[in-house]
Amino acid sequence: MNTTEYIGEHLFIGQIGNAFVLLSFVCAIVATIAYFFASKENESSASWKNIARTSFRLHSVAVFGIAGTLFYMLYNHMYEYHYVWQHSNSKMPLKYILSCFWEGQEGSFLLWTIWHVILGNILIKTSKEWEAPVMTVFASVQVFLASMLLGIYIGNYNIGSNPFTVLLRQHPDFSNLPFVQLPTYLESLDGRGLNPLLQNYWMTIHPPTLFLGFASTLIPFCYAIAGLWKKRLTDWQKHALPWSFFGIMILGTGILMGGAWAYEALSFGGFWAWDPVENASLVPWLTFVGSAHVLMINKNRGDSLLTAFLLTIITFILILYSTFLTRSGILGDSSVHAFTDLGMSGQLLLYLLFYVVIAIILIIRNRRELISQKQKEEHIWSREFWMFVGALVLLISSFQIIYTTSIPVTKKILSVIPYLQDIERIKNMAPPAKLIEHYNAWQIPFAIIVCLLIAVTQFFKYKKGDIKIFLKKIYISFFVAVILSGLFAWALSLTQLFYILLLFATTFAVIANWTYMVSVLKGKIKKAGASIAHIGFALIMMGALISTSKQQTISQNSSRTSVESLSKDFSNNKNILLSINDTLKMGDYYISYSGKDQQGVNIYFNVDYFTKDEKGNYQHEFRLRPLVQTNPRMGNIAEPDTRHMLHKDIYSHIAYADLDLVIGDQSKKDDYTEPHNEMLSVHDTTFSSNSIIILDSLSLAVDKKSLSLADSTIAVAACFRAIDMNGKTYFAKPIFTIQNASIQPIESEIKELGVKFVFWKIHTNTNQIEISISENKSKQRDFIVMEATIFPGINILWMGCIIMIIGTLIAMRDRIKQYTAAQNASEQTD
Amino acid sequence: MKKTHVILIILIAVSIGAIFTSLSDSSTYANFTEAFSEPGFEFHVVGKLNRDKETIYDPHADANLFTFFMSDNKGVERKVVLHKSKPQDFEHSEQIVIIGKAVGDAFHANEILMKCPSKYTDGKPEITTTASSN
Repeated sequence: MNTTEYIGEHLFIGQIGNAFVLLSFVCAIVATIAYFFASKENESSASWKNIARTSFRLHSVAVFGIAGTLFYMLYNHMYEYHYVWQHSNSKMPLKYILSCFWEGQEGSFLLWTIWHVILGNILIKTSKEWEAPVMTVFASVQVFLASMLLGIYIGNYNIGSNPFTVLLRQHPDFSNLPFVQLPTYLESLDGRGLNPLLQNYWMTIHPPTLFLGFASTLIPFCYAIAGLWKKRLTDWQKHALPWSFFGIMILGTGILMGGAWAYEALSFGGFWAWDPVENASLVPWLTFVGSAHVLMINKNRGDSLLTAFLLTIITFILILYSTFLTRSGILGDSSVHAFTDLGMSGQLLLYLLFYVVIAIILIIRNRRELISQKQKEEHIWSREFWMFVGALVLLISSFQIIYTTSIPVTKKILSVIPYLQDIERIKNMAPPAKLIEHYNAWQIPFAIIVCLLIAVTQFFKYKKGDIKIFLKKIYISFFVAVILSGLFAWALSLTQLFYILLLFATTFAVIANWTYMVSVLKGKIKKAGASIAHIGFALIMMGALISTSKQQTISQNSSRTSVESLSKDFSNNKNILLSINDTLKMGDYYISYSGKDQQGVNIYFNVDYFTKDEKGNYQHEFRLRPLVQTNPRMGNIAEPDTRHMLHKDIYSHIAYADLDLVIGDQSKKDDYTEPHNEMLSVHDTTFSSNSIIILDSLSLAVDKKSLSLADSTIAVAACFRAIDMNGKTYFAKPIFTIQNASIQPIESEIKELGVKFVFWKIHTNTNQIEISISENKSKQRDFIVMEATIFPGINILWMGCIIMIIGTLIAMRDRIKQYTAAQNASEQTD
Repeated sequence: MKKTHVILIILIAVSIGAIFTSLSDSSTYANFTEAFSEPGFEFHVVGKLNRDKETIYDPHADANLFTFFMSDNKGVERKVVLHKSKPQDFEHSEQIVIIGKAVGDAFHANEILMKCPSKYTDGKPEITTTASSN
């Protein structure tokens, strides 16, 4: 047992934090139970509701208390706490404190909980007669989330991971370290700091947005479960719908921010890499969009009820599942940015299964009402029919993505089943080797169908449409789209059928929705949310198509002629070697690397881009400064730099750079490269990394006295001339001596170039001499290996993102307006 | 038959299609012995870098070629030719997953995933300036 009295620890604040953790958990339980009884609609329900509300408010206060405590600890650098030590350090600027807050799992759960608490309080105010059942479900989710922070051991099983554990008390692995004996350890302890990859503003804005998106899927889910539970199978939909739009907007923004982050600051080489973590948040968004569309059509078509329930419930379950995927460590081999397991995967799984089971039981209980509805034949030329089809296409699309993403999970599940576990194919199942091609092959056809549906569906009328009127309205858009997309495809020289089809579908969707907005809605922006959002979505697809299919790696190694004996299979010829001050042709540009500079932990590499005018003069176009962030503890990370132009982006990042050359300048001044041997005749030429070296002559005219050599010594000097890349000439004169049959070479160095010569052998039969040349590492020529890619038309994608977000916002406002109008009307009739 | 049923059938058909192509697209984890017994087929091999042997990266000759020696989980060592630039912080990698195929006596990879221990798991705190702090 440790008995050292440590100085300067703030243990009291941790106890406050833990009190909040416990309070939030207990209050969530009380709120769940109280809301449950309040939903019974009997004489005591009013008082139960009071208890429930009070405890939910207390729960809210406690959650904010936890967050405030953690923030206070981070802000004051209290490294006695493990979380603070692990995620922050004293060198870090204030603006990253928030990022530290949610870097770890505990913090990110906390962030999620905070959003829930905020949404929950809004829901208490707005849900009126639905409050008790909806909040029962809501509060039960809070019980689970609050338990994630408990950090209590029951037997050997750990429930939750507590953010307020003290480094030297609750972390046994640290108790053997020498400084544990030191009462004043805090004076010299610094935190580990934030992963350099995460030290940027994206890390400040992306997680909160994404988690608000996650949180917003909970409300439609609560309404759906409450609807099933209280057998109010249709009424819930109109309450859920405005929240669905809100969630679609926020979650969509969060996902797109992730893409923008990957594109701007990570060297993934694009905005979407089909990484499991990206997929895990995309899939619920797709089902969310599907569910909102089904909720919308159910006003006009009663019999999609089951689909409405399924999609709404699946969306939330998928959020839980994606949390499980990214936090259980199961993706370890297949994703670059999954969390490691904190021993909470069992808990997460339990949480997920709990709601799956509840949903299944409730659906089975209501099966008659859900399935046996009026068996009227739906009209095929109606809007709701095609919206329904669209929702289902989204469902299959998301199923395909989640299926491939889940291969590691499938493998784990199958490996516990007897018989199956012995099949080699299952035991060794790995994700597709050509992952991106695999996803694209599936998702491009889905995208084509979805875009076509987006184009045409609004032109159908609800209930019973007329195909003739429809065709009359749409044919102009159709032909304009055919001509325009034909022109685009020709200009881009697209050859693959599916690309051309997608280009057509997206163009058609944009034009048709525009036409709808102008001719049918008469430009009423307030009602045009759907059209605007659809135009945005189509533009995203179009931008993705153009920038991906026409992306061009311009950094192919033009200087190299060598090998590649294994040919096309491995034509990963993406990187270019650029020596300092050389100018190389790369695509339409001439590029030159002019050196690097260090700012803090970042090393910037200056790469200038030139074009040649008619006279052959170089015109400086722009400079890109891709960087490498150094962090000895967590690994160096390359960050790209991108030149944004209206029609294309030039994206470049450092694939390899000898960083020792940078930092070590002075410390390397005594370091030489391995000498390499050269056999030379007079007038022969050889190279060092920074100069051309010519052996001009051999000379016997050696001033022996100044070298304090005896007169009897045989001495031959080799006269070298070295020319550096600026054309400047230097001389060196290494000397070969023989005194009493022992060879004593006298080396010579060109200090300016750092090239050292040792003349150590004469071949009299061939008239050649042997020279070994080594180079000072501090003078070696600097170089970088760089990748540069052109993404044409990527601005269409970003523009689409913004348009889609604005469109969804308008649609949401419209829904809220309709909703409150309807509420007010029903209140007046009551 | 209701049109919804037609859609449902198409839905199920496509889903089954997705499962099957995913299965046939999916690669397999293998050790070197298995990968070399089926040269030319794509495999994922998990292993560790052999730190005793030389890693060769000469960007002046070829910036997209990096050679190292790796032992798979069974301890079999092979030469690996990665057709990419040398990854950042390669030396610190704890575990490597390479994706590629056996050709001749070397494993030729065009994709590499590395796990660096310090990046995601806990390190130990260090106290470097205990003496000077007084």
